[in-house]
Amino acid sequence: MEVAFPAALCYDRKTMDDKALSEHLKTLLRAQGLSAFETPVRGLVAAAWKRTAPKQTVSRLGSLHALQPGTGRTPRPKILLAAHMDKIGLMVAQVTDGFCRFTEIGGLDPRILPGQPFTIHGREPVSAVVILPPAALLPPDRKAEAARLQDLWLDTGLPAAEAVRLIRIGDPVSFANQPVDLANGRISSPSLDDRAGVAALTVCLEELASRPHRWDVIAAATVQEEETLGGAATSAFALKPDLAVAVDVTFAAEPGLPEHKTFPIAGGPTIGIGPTVHPAMHRAFVQAADKAGIKYAREVMPSRSGTDADALQTTAEGIPTAVIGIPLRYMHSAVETVALEDVRQTGKLLAEMAAALDDKFLPDMKWE
Amino acid sequence: MKALIRKLTESYGPSGREAELRQIVRAEIKGQCDYITEDALGNLIGVVKAKAKTGRRIMLAAHMDEIGLIISHIDERGFARVAPVGGIFPMNCVGSRVRFASGRPGVIGLEEREDKKRAPALSDLYVDVGAADRESCPVRVGDMAVFDRPYAEAGSRLIAKAMDDRIGVAILIETMRRLKRTPHEVQFTFTVQEEVGVRGARTAAFHLEPEVAVAVDITTTGDTPRCPPMAVSLGKGPAVKVRDRGMIADPRVVEWMTSAAAAQHIPHQLEVLEFGSTDASIIQVSRAGVPAGCLSVPCRYAHSPSEMVDMSDVDQSVKLLLAMLQGPVSF
Repeated sequence: MEVAFPAALCYDRKTMDDKALSEHLKTLLRAQGLSAFETPVRGLVAAAWKRTAPKQTVSRLGSLHALQPGTGRTPRPKILLAAHMDKIGLMVAQVTDGFCRFTEIGGLDPRILPGQPFTIHGREPVSAVVILPPAALLPPDRKAEAARLQDLWLDTGLPAAEAVRLIRIGDPVSFANQPVDLANGRISSPSLDDRAGVAALTVCLEELASRPHRWDVIAAATVQEEETLGGAATSAFALKPDLAVAVDVTFAAEPGLPEHKTFPIAGGPTIGIGPTVHPAMHRAFVQAADKAGIKYAREVMPSRSGTDADALQTTAEGIPTAVIGIPLRYMHSAVETVALEDVRQTGKLLAEMAAALDDKFLPDMKWE
Repeated sequence: MKALIRKLTESYGPSGREAELRQIVRAEIKGQCDYITEDALGNLIGVVKAKAKTGRRIMLAAHMDEIGLIISHIDERGFARVAPVGGIFPMNCVGSRVRFASGRPGVIGLEEREDKKRAPALSDLYVDVGAADRESCPVRVGDMAVFDRPYAEAGSRLIAKAMDDRIGVAILIETMRRLKRTPHEVQFTFTVQEEVGVRGARTAAFHLEPEVAVAVDITTTGDTPRCPPMAVSLGKGPAVKVRDRGMIADPRVVEWMTSAAAAQHIPHQLEVLEFGSTDASIIQVSRAGVPAGCLSVPCRYAHSPSEMVDMSDVDQSVKLLLAMLQGPVSF
């Protein structure tokens, strides 16, 4: 399928310094694209990858695939690097006067919704806020309760007739919060999960464009990770890669969370280890990181990884898979926070690992 | 069509035991399509071949199986203990009658419980098939039972067990009969084992490789006393699914369905279901991906022995499918 390239700014390859990477990431963060509605962000990703991986296709479900050919003999083995471009949000479930009842897209904690601004993507964009009745007016036994999703409403302020004209059941609703620069190279925004991963793939393609690699590298911006992992599953089936890597965010240390369940922010990417991850892939990433002097943490995944990897691994006859994580604070909120340096280092690690793949990697590969 | 609905809903067919349904459906669609196939799991597929090169390969799926109970143990006095086949609500079982494949009836009894405020669990229930002891018990471990409840009509409302999803099966059969012209290859798929994890649809979609898919199944409503809020009512037309717990319908399929309905002035509703899912969820992620949606028939008291639909919604569902299949698909 042909991809239309919007003229929107993305980044300047020659000066992909922190400022350029930050702007690229923010461009992705501002783009619409809730699960199953990824068309707007796909265009931006396609444009960003056009220079480094111009051979692009779009899957039947809307995932973007971009090929950077290797230098090895054909038929070349190929590695799939997947980050999901969909994001969490809300969906209109009922329109009553100017108020809307809603359900969630992806997993949302109702505690963090009241007081947030949103945009309803109706016949035209409609601003709304999520409201909760004031505690003073609630019955005594309800005051102390945490908000439940079914008690929350979106208030648009629209007159009833206008609300019905503009808003339909099923319209996607996204956080209206804009990215914020915090001190120390931190960026806080909704949808860093997993636009940060997509930006890391941009860094990776950029790195690989200027260094030889024998394998074909396919970067994929997948759809519907937050719902079904369906984008990764179907893209992997179509592309039949020899290896696959899911690049997603993971829990960064934050106040109140136990140290053993989190990873330091600005401490580099995490390299997953557990049944989802092929041991040879884990070793390859650790070796690549050590060789290039990239800081990393090992992330134990005792069961499922909670990423596209869970689908990639068991697609078709099975695909050796790895999981690379970018530490992120305040997961699934409007103020998700990452360190820009972690995004860059993740991209570099992916490039180092992909560039190190040689003709012997597959034949030598054993699950042990 | 009501006679067909009656026949389908009164038949026996818990998940994995769909033979009776397969036989009925096969007889109904014989001669109405170009060919009929069956696969290893027991899915029955009637294909209407493309009449034009421009058409798509469209899979329509309705599941033949229904929820039920499976005997896990028979005690020495001949009472049977059961496990669920699909989403059984124990509350809906108390006092119900069930029927086994052999036609043998059973009554669901409830043990005396210390805490009567607690909702009954399946482990509090047993099936009494009239046996005097284990040795003379006419049913065996592994036998499956379904609710035994006759079909009934209350004005425009139809009431039956297994309306989920025999109403979808009836709609597909009627649509096939009335489909005069289509540019598409239409794969009418009567699936198995939906209630235990959309298994039939998974293998059928892998085999059929559709380019577009629509499941036809029931959805719940928000129009009964003190029910969870939901913007779907009985009698207001078929529901075009936007999402449920298993998937977000492909926006292109939603658009295809709603624009076909609008063009033919077919009343319809948009559906956001907070729980449950359909065959469409697994077809969507089959192979390299299939744009998929679902046409839902509003149904009260889902997964009870008395599921209720409105005949006008059923009629309009057939009309909507015909409208969708007669025009081109633009994606």
